[in-house]
Amino acid sequence: MNAPKSAPLSTTTCWSCNTPTNLAAFCPQCGKIQSLPENADYFTYFGLPRKLWMGMDALEQKFLQLSWKLHPDNFVNTNEREREISLQRSSKLNDAYRVLRDPVARVEYLLELEGVRKEGQHKQQAPPELLEEAFELNESLDELREAKSAGANLDALTIKLRVAEKNFGEKLHEVDAEMKTAAQHWDAGLDANASESDSEAILQRLNELLNRRSYIRNLVAGVEKELQGTSC
Amino acid sequence: MGRIVGIDLGTTNSLVAYVDSQTGQPKCILGPYGSTLCPSVVSLDPDGSVIVGEAARRRLLTQPERTIYSVKRLMGRGPADVQNELKLFPFRIDPQSKNVIRVMLGDKMFTPPEISAFILRELRNWAESFLGETIDRAVITVPAYFNDAQRQATKDAGRIAGLEVLRLVNEPTAAALAYGLHEKQRGHVAVYDLGGGTFDISILKLISTNEGDIYQVLSTNGDTHLGGDDIDNFLQAFIHHQVLQNGAFDFSSSAEATQELRKSLIALKHELSEKDSAVLRFTLPNAELFTHEFSRAEFEKIIQPIVARTMGPVKQALADAHLAPSAIEEVVLVGGTTRTPLIRRTVQEFFGRKPHTELNPDEVVALGAAVQANILERGVSNMLLLDVTPLSLGIETYGGAVSKIIPRNSTIPASAQEQYTTGVDNQTGIDIHVLQGERELAKDCRSLARFTLKVPPAPAGLPRIEVAFLIDANGILQVAAKDMRTGQQHSIEVQPSYGINDTEIERMLEESIEYAEQDFAERQLIEARTESEAILSATAKALANPQSAEIAASERSNIEAAVAALKQSAVATDYKQIRKRIDELNHATEHLAELLMNSAVSTALAGRNLAEV
Repeated sequence: MNAPKSAPLSTTTCWSCNTPTNLAAFCPQCGKIQSLPENADYFTYFGLPRKLWMGMDALEQKFLQLSWKLHPDNFVNTNEREREISLQRSSKLNDAYRVLRDPVARVEYLLELEGVRKEGQHKQQAPPELLEEAFELNESLDELREAKSAGANLDALTIKLRVAEKNFGEKLHEVDAEMKTAAQHWDAGLDANASESDSEAILQRLNELLNRRSYIRNLVAGVEKELQGTSC
Repeated sequence: MGRIVGIDLGTTNSLVAYVDSQTGQPKCILGPYGSTLCPSVVSLDPDGSVIVGEAARRRLLTQPERTIYSVKRLMGRGPADVQNELKLFPFRIDPQSKNVIRVMLGDKMFTPPEISAFILRELRNWAESFLGETIDRAVITVPAYFNDAQRQATKDAGRIAGLEVLRLVNEPTAAALAYGLHEKQRGHVAVYDLGGGTFDISILKLISTNEGDIYQVLSTNGDTHLGGDDIDNFLQAFIHHQVLQNGAFDFSSSAEATQELRKSLIALKHELSEKDSAVLRFTLPNAELFTHEFSRAEFEKIIQPIVARTMGPVKQALADAHLAPSAIEEVVLVGGTTRTPLIRRTVQEFFGRKPHTELNPDEVVALGAAVQANILERGVSNMLLLDVTPLSLGIETYGGAVSKIIPRNSTIPASAQEQYTTGVDNQTGIDIHVLQGERELAKDCRSLARFTLKVPPAPAGLPRIEVAFLIDANGILQVAAKDMRTGQQHSIEVQPSYGINDTEIERMLEESIEYAEQDFAERQLIEARTESEAILSATAKALANPQSAEIAASERSNIEAAVAALKQSAVATDYKQIRKRIDELNHATEHLAELLMNSAVSTALAGRNLAEV
């Protein structure tokens, strides 16, 4: 839980000429490409602090700049070791860009990094305040499926579900707005060197919002799927 | 290091291109028949030699049992996958085929990568004789929507042909490279690529930076079984039905008649790209003449479902790129099938702008492959290609569901790590099943590989093994595992679900060298003889036709003299002499050929020779 904010990275030397590399991607002495440090995270690939707000244009520029240097195309005529390292570095760069440019995936990644959320562990329990509405929605979905297979008139149910879909769509917007606020708190906390307990509280809040978001998202997706192909 | 060539290994035609070091521009290499297109047809001669390209294409009619076309449709697929193809294509598949299909040519069996390797070897010969140097490295293009197994099979074909495949490039991306170099345009570009057997749509962003130009693929989609072949199949089914209805003939009873009709329909299809109507005139095996006039409208009605099928992937690719059709600044058409006016119109209406057709749609992919080859050859260049993986990579989880670990349209190379542990004490293995596809259940996705992670006996939950899945710049999967407690790398034996292992490839490589050991002149001789057989048989058939009674006695004796001369030269070994005599016979039969056709058609076909009629 209390992982340090940024783990110290071990110092390294060049695999080819033994010069200290100071964690650079290329050896300052012989210019050979260097492996990624073991515990580097996506933020450090881009030289960014662990903040949740980032400018998309700047992120893209940085991504393209690094791609020029690291892409396997540049290493076709080099030895196997260099080709392997380029493959490793450029795949991680692409993985990092894929996650960081998506605001929701970015939050999820930060929470994993901070040890708040375990990879692959998804809480699918309904948040208590949504319980009743979600129950009702699932009931309507069941009715719709039954009505469909019985070939009955779907209009009334479809309208009801459209209303529910819209309602949950609005809730999704609300969660997104709340996540934005919590993200701003996190960034501000980093700047102000907030206490561990304060940071922990913000992370827990983010985690809760993320769970709620994915729950609502699944509900909406379920409705969309059932309503596909029905008119009105 | 020698030059790297770019190869477009197509369903219908294949090409090889290089970058001219003087001009810096890519160029396609001409083959011995004076065309840059090498028909993707392979024929096994009864004497055991392999014939590829135009000469093999001509054998489709005379030796259908020993000749194969459109083999790309079989690449990387299992016997169960191709049942639908078998209804429409005369592939003779070994019923004993297990994971890898084996196709019969005459009495010999070959895998699809071996057959593709014959085509690659032929192109390699073209390049070597044109450039005057040994070629052993290549960039080969594949449909963007090819899955891992199809890509691996293409790479295997390269190895069997003795080529180091430095990169597999997606066809629409290659086209964008050639196009971008040619037009110097920047912004969002859609590449619509409808070839002989595959359809791809790719959305790219062309960016200029201080270091040079970046071609970033944002999304791709497609259908690896949709193309001009399907148009031919639709037309064929339409005619079969018409003929059968008249009670005239059942095509399913004759492979030869089917091939002959297909050839006529392909010519008709090409004609309808230029003209508003065209007439099919076909002599049935019972000597009855079948004619049908196609208007452009009727033709378009028949092929409409195929054009419509391309639009689903187009919309999905745009949605994945988060772009509206109006955000696309340029549209590029690739593949011979995009010459069809209905396709041009449909694409233009959808995007609201006129598509680019300046570059030859048959050559543009090979040209782009040559550009990429040149980038790799130079090491560091002023162009960079960032491509994506077309399909999501997933692993099977509890209950047959799939957990996606690398989403589709991720920039490649891309990777994902998964941690595994044991569920019971002293468990020694963990089974892992890797899949590709968008569906939620494992049974609906493409199985790529299964393997068992070996675990030292320990209490349940104690072992921690990290498996790294990596999709390389070719779109091909690599798997590695690491024991997190000891830091040791595990070796994994990954058995691909539909693939050939390394030992088999080595054996195939050796065998293919045996096939290739004929020298160029010998091969030319065989091809010239084949061609002479074709023209001789066509001439004999024409002279037997009652209508040929109309020709003058002098004309008949001229033809007979040319026939005798050709027959004589064909027993000798000078292929140039044979070609000369073929030309002479073609010339002597020009009038006869015209006569045998109705006047309306004869004006359209003026100048064609008997073998083509």
